[in-house]
Amino acid sequence: MDSRQRRAGPPPLLHLDGVGKTYVMGEVAVEVLRNVSVEIETAEILAILGPSGSGKSTLLNLIGGLDKPTTGSVWYRDQDLSRLSSRELTFYRRDTVGFVFQFYNLVPNLTARENVLVSTEISRHPLDVDESLTLVGLTDRADHFPSQMSGGEQQRVAIARALAKNPELLLCDEPTGALDFETGKRVLRLLVEVRQKLSKTVLIITHNSAIAQVADRVIRLRSGEIVETTENAQPVAPEEIVW
Amino acid sequence: MSVLDRKLLRDLRRSRGLLTAITSIMAVGAACYVALGFAYRNLSSAKDRYYADCRMADFSIEVKKVPLAELAAIERLPGVVEVRPRIQFFATVDIERVAEPLNGIVLSLPDRREPTINDVLLSREGYFTDTRDNEVIVNEKFARHHGLAPGHWIHLILNNRRQELFIVGTAVSSEFTYLVGPGSIMPDPEHLGVFYLKHSYAEDVFDFDGACNQVLGRLAPNIRDRPEETMRRAELLLDSFGVLTTVPLDQQPSNRFLSNEISGLRAFGVIDPLIFLSVAALVLNVLMTRLAEQQRVIVGTLKALGYRDRQIFGHFLKFGLAVGVLSGITGGVLGYWISFAMNGLYRKFFEFPTLANRFYLDIFVEGLLVSLACSLIGSVHGARAVLRLEPAEAMRPKPPAQGGAIWIERFKRFWQSLSFAGRMTLRNLVRHRFRTAAGVFAAAMGAGMAVNALMLVEATSFLVDFQFYEVQRSDIDLTFKDERSAAALTEARQLPGVDRAEPVLNVGCTFVNGSHTYKSGITGMAADARLTVPRDLARRPLRIPDVGLVMSRKLAQILHLERGEFVEVRPTKGLREARRVPVAEITDSYVGLTVYADIDYLSRLVHEELAVSGVQLAIDPRRETVSSLNRELKRLPALQSVSSRADTVANVQETLIKNQRVFIGLLCLFAGVIFFGSVLNSSLVGLAEREREVSTLRVLGYSEWQVGNLFLRESLLVNTVGTLAGMPLGYLLNWGITVAYDTDLFRIPVVDPQQSCVATFVLGTVFALLAHAFVQRAIFRMDWLEAMKTRE
Repeated sequence: MDSRQRRAGPPPLLHLDGVGKTYVMGEVAVEVLRNVSVEIETAEILAILGPSGSGKSTLLNLIGGLDKPTTGSVWYRDQDLSRLSSRELTFYRRDTVGFVFQFYNLVPNLTARENVLVSTEISRHPLDVDESLTLVGLTDRADHFPSQMSGGEQQRVAIARALAKNPELLLCDEPTGALDFETGKRVLRLLVEVRQKLSKTVLIITHNSAIAQVADRVIRLRSGEIVETTENAQPVAPEEIVW
Repeated sequence: MSVLDRKLLRDLRRSRGLLTAITSIMAVGAACYVALGFAYRNLSSAKDRYYADCRMADFSIEVKKVPLAELAAIERLPGVVEVRPRIQFFATVDIERVAEPLNGIVLSLPDRREPTINDVLLSREGYFTDTRDNEVIVNEKFARHHGLAPGHWIHLILNNRRQELFIVGTAVSSEFTYLVGPGSIMPDPEHLGVFYLKHSYAEDVFDFDGACNQVLGRLAPNIRDRPEETMRRAELLLDSFGVLTTVPLDQQPSNRFLSNEISGLRAFGVIDPLIFLSVAALVLNVLMTRLAEQQRVIVGTLKALGYRDRQIFGHFLKFGLAVGVLSGITGGVLGYWISFAMNGLYRKFFEFPTLANRFYLDIFVEGLLVSLACSLIGSVHGARAVLRLEPAEAMRPKPPAQGGAIWIERFKRFWQSLSFAGRMTLRNLVRHRFRTAAGVFAAAMGAGMAVNALMLVEATSFLVDFQFYEVQRSDIDLTFKDERSAAALTEARQLPGVDRAEPVLNVGCTFVNGSHTYKSGITGMAADARLTVPRDLARRPLRIPDVGLVMSRKLAQILHLERGEFVEVRPTKGLREARRVPVAEITDSYVGLTVYADIDYLSRLVHEELAVSGVQLAIDPRRETVSSLNRELKRLPALQSVSSRADTVANVQETLIKNQRVFIGLLCLFAGVIFFGSVLNSSLVGLAEREREVSTLRVLGYSEWQVGNLFLRESLLVNTVGTLAGMPLGYLLNWGITVAYDTDLFRIPVVDPQQSCVATFVLGTVFALLAHAFVQRAIFRMDWLEAMKTRE
């Protein structure tokens, strides 16, 4: 009997059940994730904390439909992502997930507005592009190219791009990893606001335990396994954290 | 415009250096396709129109003299639609402003304008009138050359009498689209003209009342392609009147030169574009693969954002297609421009009523489609690499390039003798096998083209040198209208400025060896002749034997004869008795099918006393002696034609060699575009790929030049290997061309390729260095500190 059927009431937004992932590189098999089970609720901020090599990014890729688990399954509502075709996964990413990457991954020869357009052009219910840029406070930089913007600004464009699709789930891979302290905090503030104003579920992957303080719940990973799950009764405001 | 298309436009703009390299190669391919296609269409449609307008004869039979009444029998032959009698003679032309006597082909035309076989198309003024008998229509090119116009008078020596003729008009005719004198391969409109006389006047002046010496005929369409049987029967009917030659349309010299050119255009219209486009597709492939690598994070991000594979694939494919569109249009325009140049050249060689360079939309569009197809082939591989990228993997930094030893390192002694830079070069080349192979292929194609082109230039100068300085050494050749006795030689010796005079006897004959026959002739020469020296391939002079023939290799091939074998000779003069004679020597010549024999032996063969049909002269080159000689020659009534070696060589230089140089220069430039484009592309791609490596070297203290040197080594090594590989290819291509043009009219020698190879090597290296200059500039401009900071 799987754990999903044991629950009463509506299913969670996401549910990982005994997920494992093994990469085969040449003759070596590397087990990156081992028996990970976790549930994620709507409008929750969840931090996944762990040192590099702990399997955080792999976990994010599985949740984001970028990769499939070797064992176990990943459920989005009542859909088993591990059984979806690559075409169905594409639609899942398109409609449900917004990605924010550590190095922003903006298209260098498109302006801020155009980078957001990249996302809205394929979405079914996109937000207004300018509205998204206003949300991240970049209205006045809309026509700048990535190379003309600071790292923080670029990351805000990336967040605007993710939000503009109006996804249920925002997946942030070390969103402050390439930013300085102050800029990092501003980006975190933005993510918290996204949850508050738009009721999005936000997943933050980080190796920085200070950042995890803004989350409602923190999952610690080590060597591909969950070693601890903590509930934050009182999440700390981004402005107050220090690292 | 979708945002991805906007990205595409900016990607294109950013890669303009690389795009220029590829586009130029592909555009040259498209240009060749369009230019050769246009030229083909121009020439073939002009030819069809012209032949139809002039009612071009399907055959002509030359006889000594035949009464017109005999022609009815020929007209009744099955398949013969129409025949026309014509009087044809050679004559010398005297134009006062011109020192030397000129040559003319004199032909009769109906007195009144009527549809006739081998008709003329009038260029200026009109047809014959009833005003006078002695009216003449002159071919337009000759008239223009000498400033002759309707209303002028001109003097021709017709049937040993100097006649004054009134020019009523100028004209062109399809049978002289490529006007060459007997035995010549180059039109010489300055020294050879065509003169049309009223048929009645020609009958009068040549004593041909009610007779003719040429029969022209047209055949029913269904037997036009196989006229042999009809020809044979016509010949039989005319046999008693002394058939000299029978020429079906496909053997008619002008038609052969024109048709050869047209079929050459068709063949090269495929080969040349194929070379360029295959290189362009390969080079584009290198660029696209690199682009996919370079944009892997963007690809991953787009996939993460929910873009479908199809959309991303389409986006990358559009990049390649943009190259195709750009090349197709640029190449099309360039091709159209080249076709103007080609048309201008054709106007020099061929005489058409009009030879317009039209714009053929279908060929232009085909050129564009061919470029598009080529760009598609070149992009698919690279764009497919994008599909293979898994989004999660794509966003991870690329694993470090394959390390480890390469196979060359197994040769320890060799490997250890290499410098650090040398090892790096070899490792890079082996690791990027495909790119290296593409570079080698491109250089090989460029070298192949260049070697072939340069060998053709060399072959032409060899041909001129061999034919006009080694075989034919006389300054002036005189041909008499009728055979003369040995006294003519004595007369020739007494002409002013003549240092040496040698007799020539031309006897038309049919050679028969079993089932192989060929109508040609034998040239009789004095045993001690020095003004014509037959030679073999190694340029060794061959002695004219007392008995037997010296036969050109091509004719021996046609007749399946070897040296020492016997051939049956059926002369068209004398007693016309068939004789079996030995082939004593095989000679090499590149023009016509000459057969030499001792003049006394030849005379005995036709059972005649020693006679001469022409004289070859070596003259004192001083101006005053030459002009007094010319004055004398103009007065000689017995002359049929005069040809001067200096004029012939000057004409070949002026037309053939000069124009050939322009076109070969263009071909070399195109080959250079391949060298340049390929080196530039592969180096810039390598540079983009190895930004980090370059930055590290700069941090370590390498100068821009030292870094550039590493790239230069790779480029030169690839280029050199490719160039060397392409040389045999060029030789082979050249050999193919010589085989294709190996006809009884002329042959192209395959020359020693050494010089062409050296020149090609220099050409390839120069263009590679030129391309490297751009790479070096990119190295100077590179922000290597920034490159160090960026994440791979």
